[in-house]
Amino acid sequence: MGLTNHFPALILAILLGISFLSPILFRWVRKASAPALLLSLFLALVMAVYLLIQTTQVGEFSYYMGGWPPPWGIELKINLIRAYMLIVVLAVSLWIMVYALKDLEHELKTDVLGWYYTLYALVVASMAGMALTNDLFNLFVLMEICAISACAIISIKEDRACLEASFKYLILSAMGTGCFLLGVAMVYMVTGHMNYDLVNEYLPVAVEQYPNNMFAASALFIVAFGTKAALFPLHVWLPDAHASAPSPSSAMLSGLVIKIYAFGLFIVFYQIFPRSLLDSIPLNEIILWLSSMGIMFGSIFAMVQVDLKKMLAYSSIGQIGYVFLGIGLDDTIAMTGGFYHLLVHAIMKSMLFMCAGVIIYTTGIRQIKQLGGIGQVLPITMIAFTIGSASMIGIPGTGGLISKWYLALGALEIGRPIFVVIILASSLLNAIYYMPIIVNAFMQQEEFAYEVKAVPRQMLIPLIIGMIAIVFLGVFSRPVIVLLENGLQLFF
Amino acid sequence: MGEATAITIILFVIFFPIVMTPILMSASGRSEKLRNILALLTSAITFIMVLTLYPFVVRGDIIQHTFFEILPNLEISIRLDVLSFSLTALASFIWFLCAIYSLDYMAEEHGGSRYYPVLIFTLGSCLGIFLAGDFFTLFVFFELMSLISYILVVHEETEEALKAGYKYLVMTIIGGLALFFGIIITFELGGTVSLGVGTIINEGSLLALLAFICFLIGFGMKAGMFPLHVWLPDAHPVAPSPASALLSGVMLKTGAYGLFRVIFNAFSIEVMQTSNWDIILGVLAVITILLGSAVALTQNDIKRRLAYSSVGQMGYVLLGLSILNENAITGTMFHIFSHAFMKSCLFLAAGAIIWKTGKRAISDLGGIGREMPFTMGCFSIAALAMIGIPPLNGFLSKWTLGLGALDANATIYVLVLLISSLLNALYYLPIIVPAFFEIVGEDHHGHALQFDVQDATPKMLASMVILAICTIIFGLSPINIPFDLSQMTSDFLLRGGLF
Repeated sequence: MGLTNHFPALILAILLGISFLSPILFRWVRKASAPALLLSLFLALVMAVYLLIQTTQVGEFSYYMGGWPPPWGIELKINLIRAYMLIVVLAVSLWIMVYALKDLEHELKTDVLGWYYTLYALVVASMAGMALTNDLFNLFVLMEICAISACAIISIKEDRACLEASFKYLILSAMGTGCFLLGVAMVYMVTGHMNYDLVNEYLPVAVEQYPNNMFAASALFIVAFGTKAALFPLHVWLPDAHASAPSPSSAMLSGLVIKIYAFGLFIVFYQIFPRSLLDSIPLNEIILWLSSMGIMFGSIFAMVQVDLKKMLAYSSIGQIGYVFLGIGLDDTIAMTGGFYHLLVHAIMKSMLFMCAGVIIYTTGIRQIKQLGGIGQVLPITMIAFTIGSASMIGIPGTGGLISKWYLALGALEIGRPIFVVIILASSLLNAIYYMPIIVNAFMQQEEFAYEVKAVPRQMLIPLIIGMIAIVFLGVFSRPVIVLLENGLQLFF
Repeated sequence: MGEATAITIILFVIFFPIVMTPILMSASGRSEKLRNILALLTSAITFIMVLTLYPFVVRGDIIQHTFFEILPNLEISIRLDVLSFSLTALASFIWFLCAIYSLDYMAEEHGGSRYYPVLIFTLGSCLGIFLAGDFFTLFVFFELMSLISYILVVHEETEEALKAGYKYLVMTIIGGLALFFGIIITFELGGTVSLGVGTIINEGSLLALLAFICFLIGFGMKAGMFPLHVWLPDAHPVAPSPASALLSGVMLKTGAYGLFRVIFNAFSIEVMQTSNWDIILGVLAVITILLGSAVALTQNDIKRRLAYSSVGQMGYVLLGLSILNENAITGTMFHIFSHAFMKSCLFLAAGAIIWKTGKRAISDLGGIGREMPFTMGCFSIAALAMIGIPPLNGFLSKWTLGLGALDANATIYVLVLLISSLLNALYYLPIIVPAFFEIVGEDHHGHALQFDVQDATPKMLASMVILAICTIIFGLSPINIPFDLSQMTSDFLLRGGLF
């Protein structure tokens, strides 16, 4: 064993390490910096897969940093769901990075590339940490790291819109972390612990003794994670931030960063909070209705957008609603759907942002109405866009259908068909704003009106991988579904 | 031949056209002729392979085979019984004729490199619908066919076509989502969506009603049922004529087929009748029949009139499904056959006229029968069959449906059938009669102008004539395979659809 025992910590160490090394490498051995980042993401991914295999064999296990057990030391915990999150984060970020190599040359000044790698690695490291940590204070620290580096990968483009958007993001996100810290403080006040399991152990008593305290704490948690994950109506920062950022950052932010906070909320609700608290306050009800509104309004706002990336960003608000819906429905089947959607949406939204990135890279246009006839000049890109959109709508054969299937089944299971109607209505809305783009792209008679550069192969290969992944998830969904179902059993 | 052979043939029939699609695409880069021949061959081979399944069906075999589970209890499977065979054979036959017709029709049109692959791909997915072994597989192929046939609808790429296509697309997606909802509820209530278990939902509840309504929306939308027919009169006329013939002749039937499966496999006749859902269907069917025929009267564009006529005719199919006794089911099933022959023939003939003369307005068609006697002859035969003149097949289907209605003591339905026949006569005869008897440009002294006989090309005529012959021989002739199949189907379904 030896080294393999330390994999949970090593994943974080490698990612943090490369983030410090990147600027140095970039300065001295410029050629090596990007491969080094890719390599470390890849190593981390391999380790994460190893952890997944290990946890399927031995069940849930913990890793104590420096050998100190809680409540003193930092505890990292690995179970199926966490390993799943870890793999999603690492695999998708590796995939986005492959694409980013070419795209960033175009979007950023060359000198800041090294810094971009640093920030990118930091975002990934903090997300991986959030998936692994078993300690509220750690979670807070990682949230801060993630928020600040996420802001920085938006503003690194240094144009006016980016700065404005990242400032807005920074403020709202600071508000979110502030709320979180207050919530943690309240929990700490009544339980005296930060470790998830210990908090969970002491909370049932604390809830009885200090109910108001815990009400406030749960409200603060919802606001905190809601702001970070763009849960309606706390989504206001998202469209600007995701639309103006460089395309790989948009893919990263929309695909992964908002999801990890949804995961955070899941952990707080189902690992930290005792069942009695969830039953006594209708927390899930709040999540359900907010997410439903997010699903509807996100799509409705997306319909009126003229900028392609902004449309995709609004669409993310709707889609993150599905994940929250899965959490709020409080049923294994629905939650399986929510977590499956987390993966599917990470891939499809990243791919759509990549498509938008390719379009911007090759033609420089961003407006939806300028895209008429683009299917003839960028066929592969637009086919990828079509498959991504089909998955958004939930056309059979794509991953989007499977997650909707499970969410809807879960909603029926607990006897609330109204949420099925919401899911279906939003699918229809998705169709209404994605379809015209595709139709215009392929069916327009007149020639495409703008000059087109050749698409670099490094950008096309990730798109092709994405297409395959989406179709694969739509057809061979079983292994992942089984994994999620087994993983979620721990929480019920 | 054993079951394994049949499974292989079924798989071949579904996937051969789908596999040929990319080959056609690459062939069209080399030579148009090669592509056309390949397309024709594909549809011909598919048709012949479908026919080889006939012995299995006549023996009364049912083939239900699961390939793999996509999710627990949710599988990809195929099924062959007499119902699916009937529709498969019908679809591949009409497809083959339309492919022949397309050779000349599309020769002067643009975008053949897109048309043929899509035509063949829709064939595969359409057969997939009929041969699916559970609702989920059916849904997958249904969506595939609906979405891909969008390309056929907007083929002309005119403003009008794009607009109609958009309407089609939105309605298709609404229908697809409704189906999805229905299938999910079925799954939730019954724990499976397989067609091989007989009845999935055994009793009517609120949720079951919701499922039924969702299925009705999903499949009814495709079948052009009132009030979801609005896309149909726009979408069918704008497509190229062979595609219109397929859309009206075959693809509408996928909706009817879906309703068959819903009524007999998801629910059962008892559930339908005890919960009074047959009345919902009956009322909608009557409105569909009358509305379709009445609006067809007001249309001046020949293809639009045909499209509205399709709405009315699909109403017959729904009517038979709501009566649910042996004669009615036989009649419905036979009407699916008859309508496919008649309406494809009509659309192909109308297409030939438009192709040759460019005239679409019915008021301009006076005297066309003298210029294009064969085309108009086929058109007339099919139109007379529509009206229900014996001995054509339209008569037989109406007769059987009428018998079914009388068996169920629903005299009102017979009345509806008669009124609709009258309406059919009112809107078809004004096309046929002037076409032959109005002499355009005649001076008052009776000196008729010379007519050049310029009929459609032999290939186009061939498919029309074959269809016209079908409407005649499948009327009252003693050997009537479609009618036998319809009777077998009705017998099979009323015995529970299991054995």
